[in-house]
Amino acid sequence: MPLPKVPNEERLFSLVLALLSSEAGLTKSEILSTVQGYRQRFVHSGDNANLERQFERDKDDVRELGVPLETIESPEQAGNNHNLRYRIPRADYELPEDISFSAEESTLLGLAAMVWREGSLSEESRRAMVKLRSLGIATAEPVLSYAPQLRVRDQSFEPLRSALDKRVVVSFDYLKPGDQTSSQRTVAPLALVQHQGRWHLYAKDPATDLFKTFLLRRIVSPIRASKKTFEESTIDAATRALAELEAVWMSNVAVLNVEPGTDAATRLSKRRGARTSATAALELHFTDLNIFADELASFGPEVVVVSPPTLRTAVIERLTRTAADHG
Amino acid sequence: MVRKVQPLRAQDKLVYLLALVPYLMDHDRVSVAEAAAHFGVPEQQIRDAVRLIAVSGIPGETATYQDSDLFDIAWDDFEENDQIVLTHMVAIDDSPRFSAREASALIVGLQYLSGLPEHADRAAIASLMSKLSRGASAQPTAMAVEASELDETLSLMRESVAAGTQIEFDYRNSRGESERRHIDPLRVESVDTDWYVRGWCHSREDVRTFRVDRISQPAMTSDAITHTAGDVNLPETLFDTSPEDIEVTIEVVESAIALLGDYVAKDAQLVPTSDRVRTTVRVPHFHGLKRLIAGLPGVVTVVAPSEAREAVARWTRAGAHRYTELP
Repeated sequence: MPLPKVPNEERLFSLVLALLSSEAGLTKSEILSTVQGYRQRFVHSGDNANLERQFERDKDDVRELGVPLETIESPEQAGNNHNLRYRIPRADYELPEDISFSAEESTLLGLAAMVWREGSLSEESRRAMVKLRSLGIATAEPVLSYAPQLRVRDQSFEPLRSALDKRVVVSFDYLKPGDQTSSQRTVAPLALVQHQGRWHLYAKDPATDLFKTFLLRRIVSPIRASKKTFEESTIDAATRALAELEAVWMSNVAVLNVEPGTDAATRLSKRRGARTSATAALELHFTDLNIFADELASFGPEVVVVSPPTLRTAVIERLTRTAADHG
Repeated sequence: MVRKVQPLRAQDKLVYLLALVPYLMDHDRVSVAEAAAHFGVPEQQIRDAVRLIAVSGIPGETATYQDSDLFDIAWDDFEENDQIVLTHMVAIDDSPRFSAREASALIVGLQYLSGLPEHADRAAIASLMSKLSRGASAQPTAMAVEASELDETLSLMRESVAAGTQIEFDYRNSRGESERRHIDPLRVESVDTDWYVRGWCHSREDVRTFRVDRISQPAMTSDAITHTAGDVNLPETLFDTSPEDIEVTIEVVESAIALLGDYVAKDAQLVPTSDRVRTTVRVPHFHGLKRLIAGLPGVVTVVAPSEAREAVARWTRAGAHRYTELP
């Protein structure tokens, strides 16, 4: 008679409980033969390959939730996989005693979690809030009349975030602004930052040790993660990346003639840092010439670029191209 | 905002179990209803979790899950009064830490919110971020975003929403026409760096979405709003669709579909052609469409109807022409 199947969450929960309570750790065969959910399927002195694969997946699932499931090698028998022990060190599992959140903080975190409305960031925010509620803090319902949100639409974002966490070198094809063909890049990813509404990857070129910034929108291939890991960086890469992007944005200035009373006039003059010059031209900062050219092209006859000449040429090319595509 | 209730995966159920145990430990007695309200989940989900916790535990010294190795609850209180009383506990003492990804999701959400006046206390935000960082089981993923910007219009909108008063402003639509509008502002939303106000438009007698950067001369009125967010149905998508919308067939480079955002309906068919994908977008008129297509040069082409193609061609030709008439 087949035994009733133990639900997946019961097996995972039992695994965490067993490994939390064993200071010395358990070997794989101890886990498979005694822990609820595994023991029912364990074959004594038989083939447990399926169950072993199940255990491998479970370890990943549990670790993904931030549970520090450790592997310890027996010092006498280094290299012998059968004697690896698994455990969850209590101090690394439990939220430190001195960390507490006030009701206001908890409400603010609730708002921060709602900033993500889709994808895995939204799932992770939700899980973090479940853990926060575990502390028993009463949280005011977030005000729904005010809903700022961040979105990630770049396909390379998630694979890059995984690579960041694992600190592995990645390669991808990149269409550099202004180039017609892409080229392969191999870099150590250091941070993902959003500047002016666009996501960028800040990375180090392992060949030259130079820092580089890539626009996620211009990554045109899937992200290929290598097995090569790199040292944790000592710099605050995210802050540095934002500061560098801000410096680029500051140094690029476009002068535009904008037709009064148009959509372009209303919207462009509201941009951060917009200035009206003595000649009534509008001066705007920008980060990436090609992307700014795309934006300006959307305004059709409402905007004329005065300078820089590279931007002017880029906008003319775009307008001519789209006109030809629809001729 | 109504969030879709999705079936929980085993991993999510595990988070609830690991979060619920410490919460129950801190409460000598708690009703199922109270726990469900606290975690914001259906009561049945709490009952299922409690039932599972009550029969779970550790293999123990005998490796056979003896009674003293298991959690226990006061069953009569649970079965008859829907009250939860933990009577025996094992393995778990405290709430779990955040994962590196969970912590970074909340940290980035906080960075984004930190530009708003009510969160201007930098020290408080920084302390909260450091708590999240210390409360994570690994170094949070290196991510950062710019703080959202709040201009005068946005501040005024938020004030009106909070006060429940009508607001009036000049609004220039994508046709380029400007008109004075009176609205009951109901929700202020953002997507990355773009802000929107949604509300009941008294001029149109319907729910409308307004881009904040198309608003000028806003003024608060002393009239109370006549429609609340509860009265009207604010759709989840930012686009106001209507049955009279025109269906437009486009061909788009596959990697650029994401750039079209909500213009492409979630259920829209994607038909591969030789090097692109053919799909449809629905638009109220061609004024928004021509701007959208002109802003994505080389990657999207309108196929039909011919009026839409002509609208795009005329718009971009007029744009290119501006450069020939100038010195």
